[in-house]
Amino acid sequence: MHIPDAFIPFPQAIVYWVIALIFIALALRWARRSMGEERVPLVAVLAAGIFAIQALNIPIPWGTSGHMVGAALAAIVLGSPYAGVFVLTLVLLVQGFIFGDGGITVMGANIINMGVVGGFVGFYGYQAVSRLIGNMYVAAFVAGWASLFISAVLCAVELAIAGTFPLDLGLLFMGGYHAIIGVIEGGITAIALYLITSARPDILERPQGVTG
Amino acid sequence: MIDDLFSIEKYAYRTSPIHRLDARVKLLLTLAVIIAAVAVPYSPKVIDLAVVFFLFFAALWAVSQLPVQVYAQRLVLILPFGIFLIIFQIFVKNRYYDIFHPIVSLPFGIEIYAESVEFASILFAKFIVCISFIILLSSTTRMQDLVEASGRLGLPKEFTLPLGMMIRYLFVFAEMFLKIRSALETRCFDPLDRRLPYRYRLLQIGYTIGMIFVRSYEQGERTYTSMLCRGYGNDSGMHLRRRPLHLREAAFLACSILFIVTVTIVIYLAP
Repeated sequence: MHIPDAFIPFPQAIVYWVIALIFIALALRWARRSMGEERVPLVAVLAAGIFAIQALNIPIPWGTSGHMVGAALAAIVLGSPYAGVFVLTLVLLVQGFIFGDGGITVMGANIINMGVVGGFVGFYGYQAVSRLIGNMYVAAFVAGWASLFISAVLCAVELAIAGTFPLDLGLLFMGGYHAIIGVIEGGITAIALYLITSARPDILERPQGVTG
Repeated sequence: MIDDLFSIEKYAYRTSPIHRLDARVKLLLTLAVIIAAVAVPYSPKVIDLAVVFFLFFAALWAVSQLPVQVYAQRLVLILPFGIFLIIFQIFVKNRYYDIFHPIVSLPFGIEIYAESVEFASILFAKFIVCISFIILLSSTTRMQDLVEASGRLGLPKEFTLPLGMMIRYLFVFAEMFLKIRSALETRCFDPLDRRLPYRYRLLQIGYTIGMIFVRSYEQGERTYTSMLCRGYGNDSGMHLRRRPLHLREAAFLACSILFIVTVTIVIYLAP
């Protein structure tokens, strides 16, 4: 889902960068206010951990492997959608500039897709489902699935606006593929959340997943 | 990807005229090429521009004295998603052409169009130039130097500090990741082994991911505490020594930027 350079025309890429920068600025404000500016290093180290998590091969039912994005997990555990934005921005910067995974001019679009959508859909999806059915693990599953699926749909829409991939086929291939592997992202998010609540329940900002 | 972390950094620690260049010069050069390649509208002229930029890249790679295999190996790892999008282009119409001429007709009504092949070639040309310069940048520049260069070029300290810390801990977690993978392998666990029940594999991967998350959080807490002990506070930032560019570095950067801009404008305006 990392869009490479050249697949989005430059003027559109700038628009995505501007939108992404607004969310990055809000994420920095969140880090300063909610965590205390001095605790920013904690999120930085966590971003390195998320990078390692993304390297783990996850089996896809038909035999190939995929990778977790992790924005929903970070947002749920740290109790803010901006955690997903902050962590994924750092991860995408390293992936783009060091590994060439995802472009530089299109990094704004990638940050929106994976960080902003992943973080916001993951966090608010988790809260909504938690309130509705009261089970945090089912909520984490739904949030993980929705965060990946909606990110892929948005990616398909961006490529269609760019004119580099037709919308119907983009939704069919990228949306369809991620709707299936989103189940795995959701499942892993729920299992990882279960382990975190068992091992370090104090890490969770909102253990019940419901804000007052 | 994480397996390549050590090899990328190992090559970045080599020495050559390109390795010795200030990271700011390499970073600006890379950004200039990528922006130029992306900014030129989709047209066959892009291919001419890409050829010139690729020759420029090849010259710089030769000066860096890195083996061609290093470039090829990294290219193969980066290509898949971009190549999927590019190959797909040849079967569909796009809005950048008015008329499409089928050149091959396949079963199920699938057709390959001449204009779509041309568009796919344009995308490929832009894509290959961009990733080639990223490979050059990361293979000849240490990660920490890259962060410091970003700071010297004006990236706010709110970013340089966490980015610098993240890069430092990437290697810690890469080591941890490799140990975890070895531990799983010694227990004959392969997440892709279809003989094991799928649910069991997913459960183990989920626990592993949760465990890496907890360990990274705990590492973050320890790091934060130890930084506090050393006087870290709200106003702390990454220390960047003043390092003005050498005259020849500045001259190289100026000539390169001039070359990139001139070539781009000349090819874009050519009839």
